[in-house]
Amino acid sequence: MTALIFTLATELRQRVDLSPLTPDSLAGKSIEEIGATLLQTGNRQRRADEIFVIEGNDTSHIKVQNSTAKLDYIGKGMTHGDLYVAGDAGSYAGMSMKGGNLRILGDVGAYAACEMKNGQIHVQGDAGDFLGAALPGNKKGMQGGIVIVKGNAADRVGDRMRRGAILIEGDAGCYLGARMTAGTVAVLGSVGEHIGYAMQRGTLLLLQAPSSIPVTFNDCGTHTLGFLPLLLRGFQEFETRFGALAGSIKRVQRYAGDMANLGKGEMLIAV
Amino acid sequence: MLTKLSGGTVYDPANAINGQVRDVYIRDGRIIDAPGKARPDKEYDLRGKVVMAGAIDLHSHIGGGKVTIGRTLMPEDHRGDSVPRQGLMRSGCGHAAPTTLTTGYRYLQMGYTTVFEPAVLPSNARQAHMEMADTPLVDTGGYAMLGSDDYLLRMLMAGKEQKAINDYVAWTLNASQCIGIKVVNPGGISAFKFNQRKLDLDEQHAYYGVTPRRILLSLARALQDLGVPFPLHVHGCNLGVPGNVTTSLNTIIGIEGLPLHLTHIQFHSYGTEGDRKFSSGAAEIAEAVNLRKNITVDVGQVLFGQTVTASGDSMRQYANAAHAHPNKWVCMDIECDAGCGVVPFKYKDKNFVNALQWAIGLELFLLVSDPWRVFLTTDHPNGAPFTTYPHLIRLLMDKSFRNDMLATIHPDAAAMSTLSSIDREYSLYEIAIMTRAGAARLLGLKDRGHLGVGAGADITVYSDQVDKEKMFAQPDYVFKDGELVARNGEILKIVWGNVHTVKPDFDRAIEKDLKEYFDRYQTMRLENFIVHDEEIEWDGRNKLLVHPCGEA
Repeated sequence: MTALIFTLATELRQRVDLSPLTPDSLAGKSIEEIGATLLQTGNRQRRADEIFVIEGNDTSHIKVQNSTAKLDYIGKGMTHGDLYVAGDAGSYAGMSMKGGNLRILGDVGAYAACEMKNGQIHVQGDAGDFLGAALPGNKKGMQGGIVIVKGNAADRVGDRMRRGAILIEGDAGCYLGARMTAGTVAVLGSVGEHIGYAMQRGTLLLLQAPSSIPVTFNDCGTHTLGFLPLLLRGFQEFETRFGALAGSIKRVQRYAGDMANLGKGEMLIAV
Repeated sequence: MLTKLSGGTVYDPANAINGQVRDVYIRDGRIIDAPGKARPDKEYDLRGKVVMAGAIDLHSHIGGGKVTIGRTLMPEDHRGDSVPRQGLMRSGCGHAAPTTLTTGYRYLQMGYTTVFEPAVLPSNARQAHMEMADTPLVDTGGYAMLGSDDYLLRMLMAGKEQKAINDYVAWTLNASQCIGIKVVNPGGISAFKFNQRKLDLDEQHAYYGVTPRRILLSLARALQDLGVPFPLHVHGCNLGVPGNVTTSLNTIIGIEGLPLHLTHIQFHSYGTEGDRKFSSGAAEIAEAVNLRKNITVDVGQVLFGQTVTASGDSMRQYANAAHAHPNKWVCMDIECDAGCGVVPFKYKDKNFVNALQWAIGLELFLLVSDPWRVFLTTDHPNGAPFTTYPHLIRLLMDKSFRNDMLATIHPDAAAMSTLSSIDREYSLYEIAIMTRAGAARLLGLKDRGHLGVGAGADITVYSDQVDKEKMFAQPDYVFKDGELVARNGEILKIVWGNVHTVKPDFDRAIEKDLKEYFDRYQTMRLENFIVHDEEIEWDGRNKLLVHPCGEA
C-alpha cells in the first residue's frame, strides 16, 4: 500500500471544492472510481483526474501535491486517516472534521477548522480569518480537537468557539476569541485589538501582553494557577512549542470578561 | 394563436363543472368558447387527465422585509438546500425561505399560478412589490397592514367618523398597490411598544385607549363601505396562547355580521383542557364558522420539520422567542407603525404541543363544512414551507393515510384529538374549490380561479393518481396566461405575472392632513411613500390588474 497522491496538474482558473477527497469518502474505491469523482469548480463539475494526476492506493493516507489556495474544503468532515497537503490550502480546510490528521505545509485560507468536532490540524504556515470559528449565522464554532498554527493567524480566531484548543506560535490578529462560549486559545506572539470581544467563557493564554486590554475585562490580579502546567503538559504529545512551556510559565495576570456579555471568560497573560 | 386542450376531465367549481370531460380553448391568453370551424394551432390530448384552473395561495409570505430578515437570520436554511442552475431555471437556495426565483419555480411546478403576500407594511410596500416582481411565473398581490399604525390609532382615539377612516383605508390601498387590508394583532403591535405584553379583544391600549374590537370593527366596516371585495384579513389577538379559542369566538361573534377572514385560524383555536392545559378548540371554531356566512378562514396548517416563522406580531413572537430553534431570533419595530418578529421553529411530531397543533389544523379543515369558506394554507413559512401542500392535500383526501400519520405523532396528542373519528375525505372538486374557485371569489378575482369563457388561461393539468401527494406535487402541464410554461416539472418558459390590486375611490382632501402628518412624523415624504403604477409596470414584465370595487 502506498499513499494516495493527488498532484495538481493544471493551472486553476476557478476554485475547486475538494470535500469529496477524504479518507472517508474514498475508502474502498478503485483508482478509476477515484478519478471519476466529480468536483465542483466554479459553476461546473469536473472529474478529479482532469485536475489531478492520481497515484497510489491507500485511501487512509492521502497527499495533495502542488496544492494552492484555490483548493477549498480540504478534509471536510473527515473522521479518520491522514491528509497531507504539500502547499497552501484554500478556505474551510478541516471544516466539521471529526477525527484524523490534517497537515498543511503552507498557509490556509479563511474558516480553517471551522465547526471542527475532533481530530488534529497542523498548519506549518499562516492561517486566515475565522480560524476555528462558526459559519456565518451558526451558533457553535469549533467544538473539539486541536489546531496548531506554526505561523501567524489573522482576525477572529476562535469566533464562537465552544471546546478544543487552538495553539498559535506566531502572532494573532484582532478580535481573538470573539464571542467564545468555551475552549482554549493560546498565542506565543503578539495579538491585535478587541481581544475577547463579547466572550462568554473560555480561556485565552497569552505569552505577550496585548497593546491594550478592553475596558470590559476586569483585572483579577496575578495568580499561580495549578491547572496551567497540567494544560501545557497535555500539549507535549503534539508537535508544538507550547508543551515545552509547562515548566517555565509560573504566574499569570488574570483578566475576566467580557463583562458586557456573560463575563465568565478569562485572559491569562504570562508574567 | 388558438390552443385546444381536448378531452380532459374538468373540475371547475366556479362554473359548477364537477369532473366532466370537455374541451378547453385558449386564445390570446384567455379562455374562449368553442371557436366553431377554426383549426387550433396547437392541440393537447388530455384524455384521462384532470384539468383545473391554476391554484391560488391567498396567504404566503413571499415578499417584504420579514422574509429578508428570515433569510438573513437563517443562512443554514440556504446552505442546506441549494439548487443549481437547471435548464431555464437560475440557481437559488432555501427550504423555509427560498430565494425569489426559486419561490416562483417551486410554486409553478406545483401548479400554483397566483400567490398573495399577506403582510405588506405600507411603508415597505415598494420593497415588497419589487421582491414579488422578482418572483417569476406567478401572479402576485399584497394585503396592506393596518391596525397598529399611529395614524389610524390617532384617528380612533380622536373619535373620527367612519367616513374619515374609510378614506384613510382607501388611500392606503391605493398608495401601497394592495388588494386587501390585513390586521395583525389589532393594536397589539403598538401596545407592545408601550410595554403591554398582551392585548385581549376588549383590553385598552395603554396610550390610545382603543380596543382591538374597535379597530377590527372600524376596518371591517371601512372595507364594506368601500366595496372592497376581499374582507378584512385578520390575524387575531393572542396567537398561540392556550385558551385563545375564546378570543377567536368573541372575534367571530363580535364583528356584527361584517365580512371577516380569519387567517391561520389553527394558531387561534387552542383550549386549556387536559393535564397539560392545552387542547383543541377546533370543533367550537368550526361550529361558529359553519353558522356564519360572513366568516371565512384559512388554516395555517403545521407540518413537521424545520422552518422559520416570520410575523408582524412582534408581541407574540417575542413571547415565543424562548422556543426558537435554532436559538436565535429577531424582534424589531418598523417605522413606529408596525413590528416584525422572526423566530426559527422546528415542529416535531413527538412533541405534544406541535403534534396537537398538527391535529388541530386538520380538524379545522375537516370540520368546517363549506369548502368555499376554508382555504388551504400553511401560513408559509410559519406552519411549514409551501412545498408541503401536496402532502397536506393527501392528508385531506386520504383518510387511511391521515390515520397512519396520526399513529406516528405524540400518543397523548393523538388521544386528545378527534381526528381519528372524522371520516371526511376531500374530493377533487372540493380541493378545486378550496385552492381555486373559493380563493378567487373571496378575493374578487373575476378572471382567475375558473375555466369559464373570458378567464385568464391559468390552467393546471394533473394525472389522476391514487397517491394525491404525488399527483399534486407535479402536474403534467401548467399554462400561465395561455402559454405552456411547465411540463412534468420542467420549466419551459419564464413569464412574469400580474399584480392584482384594488383602487377604491376616496376623498382627496385626506392627503392634505396626511401630508402634514408625514412632514411632521414620518421618515419619508408622502410623495415618496406612494407606490405609483409606473414603478410596477415600468420594465414591461409585470402588469397591474385592478379589480373593481362594488358599490357600498
